[in-house]
Amino acid sequence: MPVLARRVRLLRALGAARPLLTAALCAVFLLNALIPAASAVTTAILVSRISGHAHSGLLGSAVLPLLLFGAVMVAGHAAEAASTPLDVLARARIDGAHRAELARLASADPTIDRLERPRVQQLIRIARADPQNWTEHTPGEGALGQLHWTAGLIGAAASCAVLARYAWWLVPLLLIPAALNRYFGNRIGGRFSDAWRAGIPYGMHGTAWEEALTSTAEGKDIRLFGIEEWSVAKIQRHIREMLEPVWELGSRGRRANLRRFLLIAGPLVLAYAAVADGTVHGHATVAVETAVLASGWSLYQAFGSSEDMHRMTAALESLDAFDQVAAVLRSAPDHPADDPADDPADDPADKPADNSAGTPPGPDSRTHAPASSPDAVPLVRFEDVCFAYPGTTRQVTDHLDLEIRPHELLAVVGLNGAGKSTMIKLLAGLYTPTAGRITADGVDIRELGPPAWRDRMSVVFQDFVRYHLTVAQNVALGHGSVPLDRAALSAAADDAGLGDVLDRLPDGWETPLSRTRTGGADLSGGQWQQVVLARALYAVRTGARLLVLDEPTAHLDVRTEFEVFNRLAARRGETSVVLISHRLSTVRQADRIVLLENGRIAESGSHDELIAAGGAYAEMFAIQAERFQHGYDDRADFDDEYDGAEYHDLTGEAAAHG
Amino acid sequence: MADNAALIAATERTRYPLRRYAALWRELFGLAWRRMPREVVIYFAANVLVLAVVAGTALALRWTVDATIHGRAGSAVLGAVVAALAYAVNVVLLDMVLFPVPLIEQPGMLDLHPRTLSDLAAMETLDHLERSDVLDRVTIVRNSAWLIMAGFWASIGVVFAVAQLVVTLVLLGTVSPWLLFLLVFAAVPLWCDRRGSAAVSKAELDTAETFRLQRHLFELSTKPAAAKEIRVAGSGPEIVRLQNQAWQETMNGRVRALAVGAAWKFAGWLVFSIGFVGGLALVVERAAHGTGSVGDLVLAVTVAANLRNTLHGVVVRATGVAQVRRYIEPLFWMRDHLAEDRARRAGTRPAPQVLSDGITFDGVDYAYPGTGRLALDGVSVHLPAGSVVAVVGEYGSGKTTLVKLLAKFYRPDAGRVTVDGTDLGELETRAWRSRISAAFQDFGRFATTFAENVGLGDLAHLDDGERVAAAVREADADRVLRRLPQGYDTLLGRDIGGLELSEGQWQKVALARASMRSEPLLFVLDEPTASLDAPSEQEIFQRHMARAREVGARTGAITVIVSHRFSTVTGADRILVLDKGKLVESGPHDELMALGGRYADLYGIQAAAYSATAP
Repeated sequence: MPVLARRVRLLRALGAARPLLTAALCAVFLLNALIPAASAVTTAILVSRISGHAHSGLLGSAVLPLLLFGAVMVAGHAAEAASTPLDVLARARIDGAHRAELARLASADPTIDRLERPRVQQLIRIARADPQNWTEHTPGEGALGQLHWTAGLIGAAASCAVLARYAWWLVPLLLIPAALNRYFGNRIGGRFSDAWRAGIPYGMHGTAWEEALTSTAEGKDIRLFGIEEWSVAKIQRHIREMLEPVWELGSRGRRANLRRFLLIAGPLVLAYAAVADGTVHGHATVAVETAVLASGWSLYQAFGSSEDMHRMTAALESLDAFDQVAAVLRSAPDHPADDPADDPADDPADKPADNSAGTPPGPDSRTHAPASSPDAVPLVRFEDVCFAYPGTTRQVTDHLDLEIRPHELLAVVGLNGAGKSTMIKLLAGLYTPTAGRITADGVDIRELGPPAWRDRMSVVFQDFVRYHLTVAQNVALGHGSVPLDRAALSAAADDAGLGDVLDRLPDGWETPLSRTRTGGADLSGGQWQQVVLARALYAVRTGARLLVLDEPTAHLDVRTEFEVFNRLAARRGETSVVLISHRLSTVRQADRIVLLENGRIAESGSHDELIAAGGAYAEMFAIQAERFQHGYDDRADFDDEYDGAEYHDLTGEAAAHG
Repeated sequence: MADNAALIAATERTRYPLRRYAALWRELFGLAWRRMPREVVIYFAANVLVLAVVAGTALALRWTVDATIHGRAGSAVLGAVVAALAYAVNVVLLDMVLFPVPLIEQPGMLDLHPRTLSDLAAMETLDHLERSDVLDRVTIVRNSAWLIMAGFWASIGVVFAVAQLVVTLVLLGTVSPWLLFLLVFAAVPLWCDRRGSAAVSKAELDTAETFRLQRHLFELSTKPAAAKEIRVAGSGPEIVRLQNQAWQETMNGRVRALAVGAAWKFAGWLVFSIGFVGGLALVVERAAHGTGSVGDLVLAVTVAANLRNTLHGVVVRATGVAQVRRYIEPLFWMRDHLAEDRARRAGTRPAPQVLSDGITFDGVDYAYPGTGRLALDGVSVHLPAGSVVAVVGEYGSGKTTLVKLLAKFYRPDAGRVTVDGTDLGELETRAWRSRISAAFQDFGRFATTFAENVGLGDLAHLDDGERVAAAVREADADRVLRRLPQGYDTLLGRDIGGLELSEGQWQKVALARASMRSEPLLFVLDEPTASLDAPSEQEIFQRHMARAREVGARTGAITVIVSHRFSTVTGADRILVLDKGKLVESGPHDELMALGGRYADLYGIQAAAYSATAP
């Protein structure tokens, strides 16, 4: 029975709450559910004592029932009070474990192509257990909703037992409409939730414009072009698009209210009238009558609220999404290989890699091949590397051959879309080549295993991460797999010229870099750039032997760029440096320059050699130099952006809108 | 909303007199009444009905039990029927009474919300949006219309909940006046509940920071943008650990507070329960002496069962009302701030039709609020009508500040800017801006279609396909357009599920937008080519120079081009060199080169990089 399987799936999530807490919760929920029946019974006992006794000595004989009544009352309050903290604690445990597992899963996948898929991102958004609106619920809420709902059924059974004391037919008379009432209630709740969710895209449009009104960037244009009122009207339109269907549903809800009234009033009137009449005619005692009157309506509350059901449904969505994410991230990559026979680039976890050593290492293998000592500056080689994004045929790198020699300062230039960023991601093992291999000192980097290989390199990406953590953590996370090394930290700060920035921060190294943190500070773009440089140099100080910089100075002015370049050049004794840049004025200082064109190396050599060769590089340089003389730009940036992330947006979003 | 909560915790509170609240309450009631008078009436009627029904249920039950004991079948049945009906009515009405969603949403989102947004949109200058004290409150206010409206109805709910409390206690008083003493006992859980709620609210605020941190770290470990770096640096496990640690810390803090709250709550109810059982003993005692009935006992028990809900309703709603003050205070603050700002605006004069003399800066100082450092320091310069002016300088030299002053985005702290002799401050802002067009460095990326992104540069011609197409061509944005799956109707912006453009593509959209107005008197290009590819940059630059000279000759229009690359602006009529907010040199390229000063110096550095020999 699939419905039952779903219920079990929810209850399984309770495992993370641990047995003791789960037991306590069960007890509390059960106690809460049994209170209506229990107080009906204790009231009845009291009534029977009063109506059955002579007036004298009544109080004495009523002491015990009174105390019993009081005990039930106190127990009810205790259960009610205890349920909130226990509930939150259990949710915190369940959802905390769920989120930690999801974060671990997402960050443990050695390559990023699966994580980049719009579908995976969408699933993660659903699975992440961080509700953004009232229609979303966490696994913890769902599991506890399930528990609460189950306890409610037991409470209902207890109430039914009380009713049956008068007559068995009272049970179906009230139980069936109560269940129906809940069923209709859940259906209406579901419709509201669906209508509201359907409006979310409109709401997002409205929110984006609200943010625009108060941001300095959009806000400036809005004021300059005089579209203030137009924007407000637009937001109004989006809000109406979002909420009007829900309001519509609400105004149609009057009929549902009538149905609800009839479902409750009809059976209850019948039952109460029958019991009252029956008791007068001696079919039952006043005590039983009292108990029935008190517990009859509690049956209508026993099936929980539509909120319980809604929580369970929404939580299952989250759990299902989690299962799907896990299935995708744990699966083998599905690169469409042109010819699987000569494709050694499949996931090494899936089948033995095509390499000379012949060992089949897993993605987390830390196997060190003897040929490549981790402390040495490696000779890196791209051997006939091909790569195409999944589902496309365009070869972003096309039989690429390239050497990165030890201690070399290698510059990579090329137009946007030439495959520079993809090349870096292949080098870091973030994508797996569809054909060919990348070696370090002759050993395939996949054989080294991503963690071991990445331990030896550091990459400064253009969109580097700004952690809302302390400066020290921001720098040290440049090499997170080694324990924090204070000496390396201050050395890296010196290397990167971070001292000025540190001096200006209130707590120096311990200042959190986000205004949202207590005592935190916001850095300017240039200051961040220096933190990131220190991050890379910290990695070098702690063992990275290959430093890759993807346009690290694109947003810096000329003077700062020279300084950064010189600081990097100073570290060449410890590492090779690969620099991607558009500014040929910087690039020319590299030992060797390679020009990437259509996914291959078109030219390679020193600046002077390439100029002498008179090829594409010489032409680019001449154009830039001439443009400079004539007063134009100083960057070789011929084409629109068309790289990995961009590609995913284009296909994914276009498909969503098509 | 959690982020908002953190913001609220961090925002300094201001107290306002009660009459401010009274006025706001009148305003909110007015909004609701005008939008949906029928629903307002129904809401109040339902509340009164619920009051009656709660009392009616208890009375009907007493009646039934007593009638049964006395063998009056008709009365007993009648009482039972009334009790059943009263209960059903209560269930059906309760949702509406507790949480009148339509009354919150419609006046909140259709009246209060746009009113607030219009207020925000009416801030003429940008300094508001750059001050964190203003921006924090703006963010709170922007998201608070719904909450404030909910708070308003909650405050009315409190009144009814208290009324219900009184009615139930009076019911008990009908059994015996002594039972009125239960009022005292009822005050204990009320007081304890409030203490507990306060502890919980405080913990929520206290843990908001770590909660936000764990969310940030979680997003980092699951988003592709950060995934690259995290993998290469091997920082994944550490980030997951920190995330989990922040989560635990948050939840421990909250659960501890909840446990304290629960203890208070239980203590309060324990006291009440003792009192209540004592009261019941009194009822039994009266029954023993023949002055009370079994029905009294049933009534008392029924009332007791309801009492917890009633009291809880009072506490929850009162807490809600107390919390909504934290949203209302920023609203008052904003309204005062804007009123002050409005009072300072003096501009009433219309914008000129043509420029004859030009724009003059006369000893202009400007410091960003809270920085204490002059972004512009005693700048005096004349921009002649019809000229192309370039502003160069390194980062932070004040280039962008200078052009923003031209668009009246800031008011000079000292000195003045004049347009053909008229102080910019005296010109009506919207009129002056309607004669400007600009593409700023941090241009807007609007969450709408490509066509609207461009067209809103001239609202009057938003739907004029020809004009939009011409602007697109002028900015060399056709190549961007050709790539869009739905052409002009393609939605742009990742946040709304649209297509995300690259920096360079967005920049072209911004340039196209700036090209919409046909004959502006002032045209500003603030670092227009930072992310553009070279051929289009060259084309745009030449096109603008040509157009600037042509239009300039007719209307005296001035074109201002800002750049940090000295090389891009050699063709300008006049180059202003800024350094740390001061105007250090100005004149045409050749003159400045001959001068051998700062301009020549920095130009030299960039030129050397392209000379035949390495630097």
